[in-house]
Amino acid sequence: MTSQVNRCTVTTGFFVLGRCGRAAVAACGQCGRPVCAEHATGALCPECALAQGYAPQDPHDPAWVRGYRRRHYERSSQTYNDAYWYSSFDEYDRGAFNPGDEYSYGGGDFDDDGMDFVDS
Amino acid sequence: MFWRKQRAAIERFHPLHRALVLEGGFSVSLRRDDWEPVIQSLAGHAQHVRRRKWALPVRAQRVMVPLLRVLAADMRRDGVLSVAADMRGPDAPGKAGPQHDLPARRPVLSVKQWYTVDPWLRMRAELRDGSVLELSVTERRRNRRIRKRNPRGKIKIKQKSKSVQVVQVVRRLPKDAAVRRPGSPPPPWVRVRVKQGSRLVIRATAKVAGEQAEEQLTEGILHVTTEPFRWTPPGAAVRGAQ
Repeated sequence: MTSQVNRCTVTTGFFVLGRCGRAAVAACGQCGRPVCAEHATGALCPECALAQGYAPQDPHDPAWVRGYRRRHYERSSQTYNDAYWYSSFDEYDRGAFNPGDEYSYGGGDFDDDGMDFVDS
Repeated sequence: MFWRKQRAAIERFHPLHRALVLEGGFSVSLRRDDWEPVIQSLAGHAQHVRRRKWALPVRAQRVMVPLLRVLAADMRRDGVLSVAADMRGPDAPGKAGPQHDLPARRPVLSVKQWYTVDPWLRMRAELRDGSVLELSVTERRRNRRIRKRNPRGKIKIKQKSKSVQVVQVVRRLPKDAAVRRPGSPPPPWVRVRVKQGSRLVIRATAKVAGEQAEEQLTEGILHVTTEPFRWTPPGAAVRGAQ
């Protein structure tokens, strides 16, 4: 049985957010949180890789959504003048960095067979 | 035969990619993961095909592909994503409405006006929280053809057009979904209608300026798409559905 802390907690989705939930195979070299094989970008988790400026600019890249998502929430929050819209996203996204917190883990989106194409 | 290498490359493309190049569109429903080979095929278009006649429509790469990525990210693996794309442009046959005359005074001899309506993108996605999202983008273009006589007696014809993209997004929420009215109203250019019932339906409609870069159009479409999701806070819907 895989324990909860060994599940990948990377945020997935764009408007309907969730957690990856696949079995983790490594820990991020920057923040230390567990990541699965699909979400391990080198030695970093996707968020740490994005923070270092490795966001793909081409929408054909499966990882493009992840980089575009935060930018979209920032801009749409300004467009709608709705600070709660961005803060609720930000709170959920940052919750992934608090292992064991109930809010940080909302149930996995994926099974463990690793056959998903969508990587966001 | 000319262009035989590029013809051969097009034959090797994904069937939907080929339909987009040769026929200017397609209408199909596929499971989420079946869209990935289509996107990867589109990504390799410029490497193999350089002839302008077979160029990929700009909207396909800069609007349709990002929207496919965004919707696919919110879907389960077995969710169905339907796309009806018509990239032939507003000048394709059957899209122009009837012409009518506008009042004119000299030196203008006549002014004819007509509208073209081009529903060039429709998408339907079954999202992982149980809701269904329908998105449509329609280009509505006003055309004017002006005949005028200059002081030397020559007759000159000038044509003007002005277009707007009408974006409509409908989200049908699952039964008994937890809904919260957003704290702030939408901007004045977004109209929202909510239909109560066992399944709440939120409809957002907006006009986005037609003459702008495709990236800005994509951003505008996603801004309109945001409104139905403001009624369910991010992350809450999936947790409730598990």
